Amino acid sequence: MTPETAFQTLLGAPLAAAAISALFFRRSRWGAPVLSLAAAGTILWVSLQLLLGWDGHEALHTSYTWFKLGDLEFKLGFLLDKTAAPMLFTVSFVAFFIHVFSIGYMDDDSARGRFFAGLSIFMFSIVGIVLADNLFMTFVFWELVGFSSYMLIAHYFDKDYAAAASKKAFITNRVGDLGFLLGILWCWSHYGTVDFQVLENAKLAGSGVPAAIGLLLMCGFIGKSAQFPLHVWLTDAMAGPTPVSALIHAATMVAAGVYLMVKLSVCGLFAPVALDVMLWSGAGLAALGGLCALGQTDIKKSLAYSTLSHLGFMGAAVGLGRPEIALLHMSMHAFFKATLFLCSGSVIHACHHEQDMTRMGGLLKKMPVTAAAFAISGLSICAFPYFAGWYSKDMILTAALVNGNYGAFALLAIAALGTALYIGRMFRLVFLGNANSDEAGHAHESNAWMTIPLVVLGIVFSLGAGWFLSGTHAAEGARMNGLFPASATEFLAHGYHELHHTAAEKGLVLPMLALGVIILVVGLGATLSFYKKTPGDDALRVKSPKLYAALERRWFDNAYDWYIANVQQRVAEFYAFFVDKFLLEGLTIRAIFAGIPAVGGILVRRFLFTGRMSDYAAFFVFGVILYFLYSVVL
Amino acid sequence: MPVGILHHLVLAGVLFAIGLTGVLVRRNLIAVYMSLELMLTACTLGLVAFSKQNNAMDGNLFVFFIITVAAAEVAVGLALIVALFRKRGTVRSDELTSLKN
Repeated sequence: MTPETAFQTLLGAPLAAAAISALFFRRSRWGAPVLSLAAAGTILWVSLQLLLGWDGHEALHTSYTWFKLGDLEFKLGFLLDKTAAPMLFTVSFVAFFIHVFSIGYMDDDSARGRFFAGLSIFMFSIVGIVLADNLFMTFVFWELVGFSSYMLIAHYFDKDYAAAASKKAFITNRVGDLGFLLGILWCWSHYGTVDFQVLENAKLAGSGVPAAIGLLLMCGFIGKSAQFPLHVWLTDAMAGPTPVSALIHAATMVAAGVYLMVKLSVCGLFAPVALDVMLWSGAGLAALGGLCALGQTDIKKSLAYSTLSHLGFMGAAVGLGRPEIALLHMSMHAFFKATLFLCSGSVIHACHHEQDMTRMGGLLKKMPVTAAAFAISGLSICAFPYFAGWYSKDMILTAALVNGNYGAFALLAIAALGTALYIGRMFRLVFLGNANSDEAGHAHESNAWMTIPLVVLGIVFSLGAGWFLSGTHAAEGARMNGLFPASATEFLAHGYHELHHTAAEKGLVLPMLALGVIILVVGLGATLSFYKKTPGDDALRVKSPKLYAALERRWFDNAYDWYIANVQQRVAEFYAFFVDKFLLEGLTIRAIFAGIPAVGGILVRRFLFTGRMSDYAAFFVFGVILYFLYSVVL
Repeated sequence: MPVGILHHLVLAGVLFAIGLTGVLVRRNLIAVYMSLELMLTACTLGLVAFSKQNNAMDGNLFVFFIITVAAAEVAVGLALIVALFRKRGTVRSDELTSLKN
């Protein structure tokens, strides 16, 4: 298979599946799931072929002209390079298993056709982002993932909260995307190109680049990856079905923002100021999200805060000038966070759509596979040594220390402690103790459609995805490196080993390992015992209602509500009443209305003021014809 | 028969006339609105035709902007119609006669 056919298949298969499902299989029970799964399988198979057959150095690139405007050419191009390879592997691998899981999870849903068609259009869009070779094309697919996210959040559109959440996600993303579009245009007018390869070869030094370009391009990341201050949409987006939360709102789409930042960072488009902004907003959000996850009893919302926190980690890594580590964390995060969401889906499915953790409990014996997957991916996200998450998360903390950013290091350490706290709490509330509701009491393990993805993603990959970093370099000519295709590991391993080397020189490796273990033991130990005391309720809510309320409270949503109600609405009212009602309607139209009869008498009023819109339109057309006759004849 | 500027312009004129007739004779505001949009589209078709005739891009570019603005305008127009329906309970133009006298 040539790279060109591979690229075409990667985009064509999901698009065809989506189109056929949407046109013919909307009501069918099995048509769309089978097609969608086949498309996801094709993507996985083709991308593995592509990655295993590629040496990992010379980028694969094909490009077509889309349309021409004068001298300006818009190109559609596909580029598989060192940054796209790990992303392609992660996305296609995680997505395939989430498709498998969805078949089990959505078995009792009446709108499976719509759901799977949505998943396929999402796959088309995300593969487009991964392989895009220029920013214009990225933007097109960027909007397409936004659309599919909107559509899938609103899957249960007859519930008001789901409809509102989808609208919120879409509108919040518009705010970020406006900045992103301006950034693309600015980059294009400044450098005359938006092609990633051309930008990278131009060897832009970050310090000579206008800060505004980086900051504006960052807006796209802030919207899509739900970064501060546009992070408000992600927790509401959990209104969608759980596989959607796992695939789109944890593993891939929100991480696409990080991927773009990595690509642009490799191109050197960020001025130091832009990197600093990214570092501090990322580290701040990491700490905030990690603590707020303790203030939610809904299992999915708690995990959503965890996603915010880890996206903050990735943003901070880019801000620290370590795009490789950011991409590494994105990849590891995709495995363990997808598993955590799939476990929550498995639990929710078993408890008949109960999402409140305080009403669960005691599921360890009833759902052993789910519990094992949750435990392993939980340890992975808490950075248990040699689990996948440890390689990346620990390295981000190390990077902050190596760079001498002690403030950011402190925030990230708080975030790491928060991770251990909320994972311990979740495990305690959901899997240990006794069942706190009838639903939890009658729960039983999910079927194989759901447990197989849990085993593959949770037990195998959340544990071992990072092992390719432990050995030295892969043997020359080897096609696999650990669990990854060797060509996909070049970029990640290079950045990791470089940082590891620097840290070893400064003697930071062992202290970091010790610190990580201390955080882990303290966090998990504290929550596992603390949350034992109040079965059926949240211990923090019982012991310290004020602190819990502060964590649960939606500070930023409230601030935006206040702004809209007290600023935006007031301005709109000013225009509505003063400009429209008073100036236009009162002083202008009413004056004419009163003036005409005074001049032309009551007859004019009777015949001209009919009140029927079509009459007025006819008068208007008649007037235009008269004017033309006048101007032609005279 | 080669398709030339004349064909494009006649097509644009016919579309415009159909739209105009719709605006004048239809009573349902949604239909009137669609007819209005048809008139707008006829005008943009004229722009494309002249752009092709002059072998220049500016007419085409203009059309891109018109399409963008028209999309925004449709959102506002439809919102107005919905608001009208909520307030008055009808979208038939002959029942909306508060401007009479």
